[in-house]
Amino acid sequence: MLMEIFLHQERIYREIVVEPKFTVINRMHVLRAFSYTAVFNTIIAIFLTFLEFGGGFVKNFIISQCIGMSICSCILIVHFLFKSTKPFIQVAVIFIAMAIGSVVGALLGAVATGIGPSIFFQKYSLFQMITLGLLFGSIISYFFISRETISATKTLVQEERIKRLTSEKKAVESNLRLLQAQIEPHFLFNTLSNVLSLLETDLDKGKCMLEDLIHYLRTALSKTRGDTTTIGQEMEMIRAYMNIFKVRMGERLRYNIDVPDKINDIPFPPMLIQPLVENAIKHGLEPKIEGGEVFIHGEKNEEILRLEIADTGVGFYEDGNFGTGLSNIRERLISLYGDKGRLILEENRPCGLKAIIEVPRARD
Amino acid sequence: MQEIKAIIADDEDQLRSYLKSRLSEVWPELVICGEARNGQEALELIEKHRPDIAFLDIRMPGLSGMEVAKRIVGSSWVVFITAYDKYAVEAFENEAIDYLLKPVTHERLGKTVKRLQKQIAASIKPPSDMPEIVERAIARLYKKEKPGYLRWIRAQHGDGIRLIPVDEVCYFKASDKYTLVLTKESELLIKKAIKELVDELDPNQFWRIHRSTIVNARYIAKVSSSLTGRGVVKLKDRPELLTVSRSYIHIFKQM
Repeated sequence: MLMEIFLHQERIYREIVVEPKFTVINRMHVLRAFSYTAVFNTIIAIFLTFLEFGGGFVKNFIISQCIGMSICSCILIVHFLFKSTKPFIQVAVIFIAMAIGSVVGALLGAVATGIGPSIFFQKYSLFQMITLGLLFGSIISYFFISRETISATKTLVQEERIKRLTSEKKAVESNLRLLQAQIEPHFLFNTLSNVLSLLETDLDKGKCMLEDLIHYLRTALSKTRGDTTTIGQEMEMIRAYMNIFKVRMGERLRYNIDVPDKINDIPFPPMLIQPLVENAIKHGLEPKIEGGEVFIHGEKNEEILRLEIADTGVGFYEDGNFGTGLSNIRERLISLYGDKGRLILEENRPCGLKAIIEVPRARD
Repeated sequence: MQEIKAIIADDEDQLRSYLKSRLSEVWPELVICGEARNGQEALELIEKHRPDIAFLDIRMPGLSGMEVAKRIVGSSWVVFITAYDKYAVEAFENEAIDYLLKPVTHERLGKTVKRLQKQIAASIKPPSDMPEIVERAIARLYKKEKPGYLRWIRAQHGDGIRLIPVDEVCYFKASDKYTLVLTKESELLIKKAIKELVDELDPNQFWRIHRSTIVNARYIAKVSSSLTGRGVVKLKDRPELLTVSRSYIHIFKQM
């Protein structure tokens, strides 16, 4: 089963494209729009000259460039200003932009070719101008929009894929970590060595320790997948875990579990509290020569259930794999409760660390 | 013949007494002249008794077994003890360094003892250096080899101090001599200038986009560049837009 998870994980890693996931809209976009328009305008100019429309290629070229560029600018501006409005309004606004663009462009063209606006508009009616503008404008816009839609869809599909794979990967990873956390070999062998020793020196104590280990392993291992347990069951498991460490560490460990009976029946995801207790011992108390205390406190109010795991150990430090355990808990809280599940870390007073889990209460 | 002395260092009482009783079976003449509960005590015992052999647990509070071994190098034969440390064990195997696995078995202890007896009888001196490969393997256990970028931000919150994983920070914003730390749901002030902060953060994840802004790349939803050459960053979990100044816009250009 472990192998399956590893293989699956590897496959996911290979599939995920290690690229930044955000889109960068740069000036390339705008530049491309203008260059396409320029080419298109030239084609129109040639086409009109063939039809013997207007005053020769040069004039047609200048005028059509002016009209085209002006339409293109108007569309780009409108596109930028109205990109988050409804599609219907967008289309309407784009048509208006095309009309304005064609008139402005025609005026510019008239000035540029030296014909002068008054003569120009005598020759071609405003209606003719706008109709032509709309016709060509629509073709250009359609061309651009469909291109953009295609690339946007592609990006979207890719993004969705990455999202799906990332979440799949996270789930697999956290499952794996959950599995590893439960059967931490160092813990297992050290505990068994203790039991072996106690069999010679204190048989009863040895039996108790073995029973605690069995209780811990049975509860921990049966909770690999996403099923729920209750606060009470989790606390029983943690008591067994603490008893084991109490034997191993002796005077160096003191602990106190203060969880009122009334919250014992509340359903709770498995193995969320245990890694925090493990951290408190492994990173807080074990490195400290004189050891210290672990306090576990639970409470509820109308909305939230709150669990605190505090230790008087060496406190916050940078090294160790302390971070991955915590981010695993965070990820699980987010996937289970969304924004409403939180893991908070604080400095404990007078020393050590305090971890707080807050989850919303299910209505009962 | 002169008596041979040893010390045992392990932070767990049961494990020390277990090793001691196993040793008394396998090597009854060996004198255990002291037991240590942590690295510091082990060092003191070794200086006091000058034992021929030191049994050192790798993971101990205070000083690790490795650090003790480094300080007493050449004076005693060292046998490391570990419950399960894959990399360390591999290194010990490769370098023929003595080690014992917990729980200690009769057979294995017998082999180790025989080797020690042979070496001491032949008056071979303990090696005067610790192979680098072993040091590295054990450093790996404690993950101390990489200097590491900042992973946690300590910030005043109410009347306590809160620890925030840097992964959760959306962006940092300079605010006089202080820096504002903005996460999805909170805004905290830390007493560190953004100039210092930028060197401590992982440059692959945290990008400086402005004289007064460092953004977490994971929280960037979109970057658009204005025609004036500046950029605007839209964030994933926060409403505000961040400005990319002209001198940093090149970060986004390469993509």
